[in-house]
Amino acid sequence: MKLPLKSITQFAECNLNLEKILTTLSSKIGEVEGYSELSKIYEGIYIGEILSKEQHPNADKLGVYKINIGEDDEIQVVAGDKSLEVGNKVAYIKPGYTVPYTYGTAEPFKIKAVNMRGITSNGMLCSEKELNIGNNHTKVLVLEQEAQVGTLFAEYFELNDTVVDIENKALTNRGDLFGILGLSREISAAQGIPFKSPDWYMKDSVDIDIINPNSPITVENQAQNLCPRYTCISMDNIAIKDSPVWLKSILIKSGIKPINNVVDITNYLSILTGQPLHAFDYEKLLTNDPIKKDSAHITVRVAKDGEKIHTLDGNIVELSNNNLVIADSTNPIAIAGVIGGIDTEIDENTKRVIIESANFNKFSIRKTSMELGIFTDAVTRYTKGQHPHLCLPILLKAVELIKELAEGECASNIVDIYNEPQSQKGITLSINRINTHLGTNLGKEEILKILTDIEYQISSQDSEYITVVPPIFRTDIFIPEDIFEDIGRIFGYDNIAPKLPTRDIRPTRVNTNIQLKNRIRQILSNSGCNELDTYSFTSRENIENAKQDPNLAYHIKNSLSPDLEFMRTSLLSSALEKGKLNIQKNISPFCIYEFNIPHQIGYVDNFQLPKEDWHLSLLFSSKDTLIEGSPYFQVKRYLEKVLNSLGIESLTYDLISDSSELDLPIWITNIIPSFNKNEAALIKHIKEGKLTIVGVIGDLDIDVKNRFKLPSLSGAFEINLEEIGKLVSLNNGNTHESRYPSITQDLCLTVLDSMKYFELENIIQKEINTKDRVGCIECIDIYKKDGDTKNITLRITIEHREKTLTDKDFEKIRERIEKKVKQLSK
Amino acid sequence: MLNELDKIKEDIQKDITSLSILQIKGKYLSKNGVLAVMFKNIKNIKADQKSEYGKTLNELKTYLEDRIDEEQGKIKIENSNRKIDPTAPFDVNTSKDKRPHILDLKGSSHPLMQELEKMLDIFQRMGFDILESRQIDDDFHMFESLNFPKGHPARDMYDTFWTDDGFVLPAHTSTMQNRALRRLGPPPIRVVLPGRCFRNEATDASHEHTFYQIEGIYVDEGISMGHMQATIKEYLEQYLEKDLEIKMQPAYFPFTEPDVEFVISCPFCNKVGCTTCGNSGWIELMGCGMIHPNVLTAGGIDPQKYTGFAWGVGLDRLTAIKRGISDIRKLRDGDINFLRQL
Repeated sequence: MKLPLKSITQFAECNLNLEKILTTLSSKIGEVEGYSELSKIYEGIYIGEILSKEQHPNADKLGVYKINIGEDDEIQVVAGDKSLEVGNKVAYIKPGYTVPYTYGTAEPFKIKAVNMRGITSNGMLCSEKELNIGNNHTKVLVLEQEAQVGTLFAEYFELNDTVVDIENKALTNRGDLFGILGLSREISAAQGIPFKSPDWYMKDSVDIDIINPNSPITVENQAQNLCPRYTCISMDNIAIKDSPVWLKSILIKSGIKPINNVVDITNYLSILTGQPLHAFDYEKLLTNDPIKKDSAHITVRVAKDGEKIHTLDGNIVELSNNNLVIADSTNPIAIAGVIGGIDTEIDENTKRVIIESANFNKFSIRKTSMELGIFTDAVTRYTKGQHPHLCLPILLKAVELIKELAEGECASNIVDIYNEPQSQKGITLSINRINTHLGTNLGKEEILKILTDIEYQISSQDSEYITVVPPIFRTDIFIPEDIFEDIGRIFGYDNIAPKLPTRDIRPTRVNTNIQLKNRIRQILSNSGCNELDTYSFTSRENIENAKQDPNLAYHIKNSLSPDLEFMRTSLLSSALEKGKLNIQKNISPFCIYEFNIPHQIGYVDNFQLPKEDWHLSLLFSSKDTLIEGSPYFQVKRYLEKVLNSLGIESLTYDLISDSSELDLPIWITNIIPSFNKNEAALIKHIKEGKLTIVGVIGDLDIDVKNRFKLPSLSGAFEINLEEIGKLVSLNNGNTHESRYPSITQDLCLTVLDSMKYFELENIIQKEINTKDRVGCIECIDIYKKDGDTKNITLRITIEHREKTLTDKDFEKIRERIEKKVKQLSK
Repeated sequence: MLNELDKIKEDIQKDITSLSILQIKGKYLSKNGVLAVMFKNIKNIKADQKSEYGKTLNELKTYLEDRIDEEQGKIKIENSNRKIDPTAPFDVNTSKDKRPHILDLKGSSHPLMQELEKMLDIFQRMGFDILESRQIDDDFHMFESLNFPKGHPARDMYDTFWTDDGFVLPAHTSTMQNRALRRLGPPPIRVVLPGRCFRNEATDASHEHTFYQIEGIYVDEGISMGHMQATIKEYLEQYLEKDLEIKMQPAYFPFTEPDVEFVISCPFCNKVGCTTCGNSGWIELMGCGMIHPNVLTAGGIDPQKYTGFAWGVGLDRLTAIKRGISDIRKLRDGDINFLRQL
């Protein structure tokens, strides 16, 4: 919302300097986005008079003018417009100054004295567009004759002002502040000066009474729920012309291009009050109506599906029954509250007009605007909420101005369809509650002053309670808290004394998931791994490259780009993408990981919302063969580092290609294809017969590696932290102590290929761990030559609680182990 | 010079079939390889040919790298179909020094997570519980329970992403307010809700479509705006390790009343004006306000008895400012060289 500061004084007393106004606005009304001092933009532009005119000797299309700008010397300027006459008043930019249209842009255009085909041009004569006050860029703007030669253009055009831009978002619920009048009210109250709205703004009676209307209108409102009030009037003998300078000036300062007097008046009242107006050409409305009548007929109705309208911005828009339209007997002539139609547009020949001042449902306007992609000033103002009360007084003000500036005369009575007038209800406030809510210590009188300064009415009061009625133009006041805000704002939030709340000493609840992530993060970061934080968004290509299922991915309806159109189904796909990026930068080896939440369609919680499990994914990659054998074992090393530190022991690993698990969760089946099934495993946990799949780990699928340009030594895992969290034990297992030395010996066993290492380990564990002894196993070597066996060398350490073990003792244990292994290897 | 490039192109075509990967790498891509020499030469190229020269060289480089990748891929495809024993500690026939081990690399936790941990720690010390926020939610939690009726124009303040299925990606962690009130009530409720949020807006050095926010809620009897001001100030002073001046500016959020923008004196220049605060001396840090009675009611809490405040502070910008990261996108581009510096 643009606020030209000089216009405040039209309504309110304001003795503040610029800095004070800016702080008042931002601390009591709404965030200030910025401000521009127009006098700077129009610096170096003067009013000049054409003294002589000649054809350029070397260029057909150029004219050479001598002008007077009130200095001793005449100035010679070359211009592309040859239509100027001696005596014309023009706006002239001196060399060294900037063309306003380009001011503040990336490439401001600074005027220089230049030689144009042999003739020097000392400056420039401006078009409307160059002055940033209109669209015409072919003709030099000819000013009114009363323009004083030598004065600054900004002065002549009343542009010596500062325009403050207030963030629209801060005023989202304040339709009344989308008008200069409303902002003036608040600025006044913020200074402690009571404000009174002008009489015309509050007027709710009509003194127009025409017995034989020349241009009668009938209106039928078929959609009262979407159009609570519709008022209009017709006016004849209109003289369409340029608006006077003051009117053009305020429009320009508010960022609106002047068009003609009637349209400018409707726009002017809208920037003044927030209530949008619209003007139709009465004649065009009559002639375009397929059903010929003597009077204009307007229908407010919902559009028919597929109905079309040619709008003022030149587009043909197809409508649906979500849209409210203003129509003649048959066809739409405007999209209600959004944009007018071109067929009833006011032009230079318009003689009779209909001025509309209506109130439309803001939800409906928003829906239509979003659906059709049309965002106009009227939409902005309507969607912030305007009170239907305003329709009539502002229509009457428009009539007054059109009489004054366009010589119009009322040609119909006022049409006013307002079946359910809306009034404000009294709200009772407890003074005590105001103060406890705000943290203030305000007395009743202070509160009453603040509220009456912004035109609340006091309907009753006693020592503890006051009942107030919000002013009619406010559409944002429903409950006491809404009024607390007005009191707090105008009093000044900065005047509230900060005070820490007191609390009981209940300890805060432990969040185990955050605790778990912090622990794992510490372990991995201390193990040379780098934590990533990547987008949840990904592309179909990425999901497919990871061999995962794009049909499981939630698709974003309004994504920023195809690269970001899906929600990832795993964290692994992001890790792969970042892995590729780093390998291409020649970073190797690396180990990256991320905690986050992937989503899969069909994986839902009790509320049918996507189930959001936290995952951990890790990717290891090395261009050099630092590690021999399958990458599976390297990533498993990282996983076990984490699990051991967390005290989780009882996990088992099932080769994917040997696994016959049915009913795997979606998130597991989705990531399995990313892995090499002969060198990757499901991570399982079995407790009391209940199986849980914790994740997948291993070598990556060969195509996946190729697509992500990863070297062959690349492996990964993805685990579900919800499951891991359930396994974390708080005690770190039993400890044992012995006074006797332990014995260590190596054991080399030949076993069948098919025998799993953990089976062997289990056999040995049972033999070496008894109630008197504890032992541990370390794998020294696994060697395979040919045939169907392999040799496994283990280093076994045993310790007895009550004696020193001898070689002989060990021999017995060894024999038992070898016997058992032999039985199993048959 | 451009002719010379044509010659190299021809050579590459010949060599690619006859030489090994290593030989090609050595000849063209090594430190003193053919391409490196040509790149160094760029300073001698005429200005008008420079860009074409550079472009052609880069194309050649990518071409070679792609061929090499392809070749390496072919080797990989020849991998045997042997099955590993996933229960073993290492693979068969591996030499002792090349067995799996934790490599000695520079590890790091993510800067956003480091800062988040610090913030959560402060809040926990101040007596706040922690609940994590969702990343896909429904209209009820993101909007309706927060006093945004369906179709309400205020919804446009949040450039929200929607899925085809009608789910919403939270544009703020306030999406958790209703759950937090229901789960942790009756008051006193003190909770912070960290989480990932999404906004459909163009990205640049200081804006991202993905960011973290921490929502805070405090509900009890007699809670005031003065309490809100002091609580947020205390937390920020702890976090930024500096005394701050604060301002509260009117704002609008449908789920708070009154609602304000919390502004602090710039902790980096002591209000003198610097690039971080856009030379204003002040930084707008977060939206906050007194929780709207409708939101309390929707959360099962009696607004006649209890009042409360809520805020939502963004993490990414604070992290970038605090850690001197000039482009916020750097946080998520996954560059390990960058991460290892942290």
